[in-house]
Amino acid sequence: MGESPPDLPEAAERRLAGGAFSSGLSVSDFGACLEMGFEPVGLVQGFCAMHQGSYAMGGALSRSLSPYGGSGSGYVQNYQCPHGMISNEHRMWGQNYEQTWVQDAWNQGFTSAYERMLEEAATLGAHGVVGVIDTQMPLGDVGVVEFHVRGTAVKVLDTPAPTSSPWTTYLAGQRLAKVFEAGYVPVSIVAAVSSVRVWAYCITEYLMEGFAGSMWSNATSSSSAVEIEQIVTAQTWSRQRVRSLARAQLHGDALHGADLRSSEREFEKGDLEIEAVLRGNRIRRFKDFDPLPVPQPTVRLS
Amino acid sequence: MTNGDVAKSPIDAKAEVRRAVASLAGKAPKTESTTSDLSIDEELNLHSIGWEPVELVSGVSLFSTPVGLWNWGEGEITSASEAHALAFKYAIGRIHREAADAGGHGVVGVHVERRVYSTHIEVSLLGTAVRPVGAKSVEPSNVFVSDLSARDFTLLMVAGWEPLGLATGASFVYAPRRSMGTVLQQQSQNVELKNYTDAMYSSRESAMERMQQVALELKGTGVVGVKVVEGPMSFAAHAVGFAAWGTVVRLVSDAHHFVRPTMVVSLNDSGVAFDAQSLQ
Repeated sequence: MGESPPDLPEAAERRLAGGAFSSGLSVSDFGACLEMGFEPVGLVQGFCAMHQGSYAMGGALSRSLSPYGGSGSGYVQNYQCPHGMISNEHRMWGQNYEQTWVQDAWNQGFTSAYERMLEEAATLGAHGVVGVIDTQMPLGDVGVVEFHVRGTAVKVLDTPAPTSSPWTTYLAGQRLAKVFEAGYVPVSIVAAVSSVRVWAYCITEYLMEGFAGSMWSNATSSSSAVEIEQIVTAQTWSRQRVRSLARAQLHGDALHGADLRSSEREFEKGDLEIEAVLRGNRIRRFKDFDPLPVPQPTVRLS
Repeated sequence: MTNGDVAKSPIDAKAEVRRAVASLAGKAPKTESTTSDLSIDEELNLHSIGWEPVELVSGVSLFSTPVGLWNWGEGEITSASEAHALAFKYAIGRIHREAADAGGHGVVGVHVERRVYSTHIEVSLLGTAVRPVGAKSVEPSNVFVSDLSARDFTLLMVAGWEPLGLATGASFVYAPRRSMGTVLQQQSQNVELKNYTDAMYSSRESAMERMQQVALELKGTGVVGVKVVEGPMSFAAHAVGFAAWGTVVRLVSDAHHFVRPTMVVSLNDSGVAFDAQSLQ
């Protein structure tokens, strides 16, 4: 993540210097926190509302304006009608392309919110931020997304004051304690997004409308079940892309507890926007595994 | 088993945390990054039997089905059953290939997302490729795909069994419409709708048989953790479906090792098990 902007509100500085600590931890997580030698120093937060510059690109109007919108850079794959028809009703071309501007807006919004949270944590002299929660919410239907990142800033007791940016993790409580005990140290949270636009060509449109097995579906076998290749390619690409973007943030560390979520938004039959978001904890090994006991199956009596 | 010994003395958690945090001041490691969706408990489970996560892997497929096939007919809706089977087959093939390319010996904890629409059937799989610690790649044909969690995978291995792959089976069947005379005759009666019951049985038998056939093809002795989705289709009142999937397993040791459970009383259960006010 890049350099943090010095945009901490004056009121936040006053509040953070106020004395009493605040925390988003549950009581059991708070207890585990103390057991690990952490002192909670404040609930830290970062917000950012981002407007996506090219929101109209997803609309039906774009199709009539440009046959190959493309993204300028990034993944693009073209599909050509095999039927030899020329008609306004017939989709003679199709395209999958990476929506780099959507990814850029997401990254900028997330990174700004994240760095604002870090700035608050640094103001408190924290070594790290535990129990991070991040949310993204659309603000109306005008192409604005609100990014929230919050967590509990902690100091490590009996340790010199931090000289670098605080480490962060989505974990807290017993789970975080186990991470340390297993020989890992949290480095940072990792989040990445990939966005692909699918402009369906005739074959994809017909298959999505249920015309499998008809002359229009271009089936090469007698089977009436036909794979919708254009959409499968886009789905596969978006999942692979988001994983490679997350991997690029690891620098030799491990991504642990990853959560990959994929969502689709349909504009017209077969015309989709596919978005994949991947979150996880970047962790680093600081010692070898201690000899671990073979797990014992247990039956709970409560 | 590589880590069978219990640690001799309790760990000083605070000292470990200080040591860990101080290590961040050093340089990043020059090792290959790994990715996984496992929890720390699951990762520790894996390590306890000498396995480790390698890579987060996925596979998707989307098959079109002819429009209108759901509403009128008799017997099995073969196009839909075929589309379901192919969507699973292709998605499994893709996650299998990704795991093999990443050097995994198998995939555990596969999340199965399956959607059936009137015009297409979609299958999405996501899991973590795993291997014995530091092991080299194996022949792709030896890589398994399993929807067992890392915990269940560990327990299975400790008991002397191994997973072989994901087996699926599905069948969609028409529930024939009753004649107008039958409808009028039955209107004032409590009567079983045999057309639906028979369709469900027919659908279930075909689906389970197909799943078991896959298990036999994988040279397994059984399927564990079978998940079932059954019932009428939301978009077609006269069509019922039954789908089942699970992990094919085989005994690899001489005999099953009985894993004796230990009883524990948990102190961190958030649920209220006993309400004292009920005694008033």
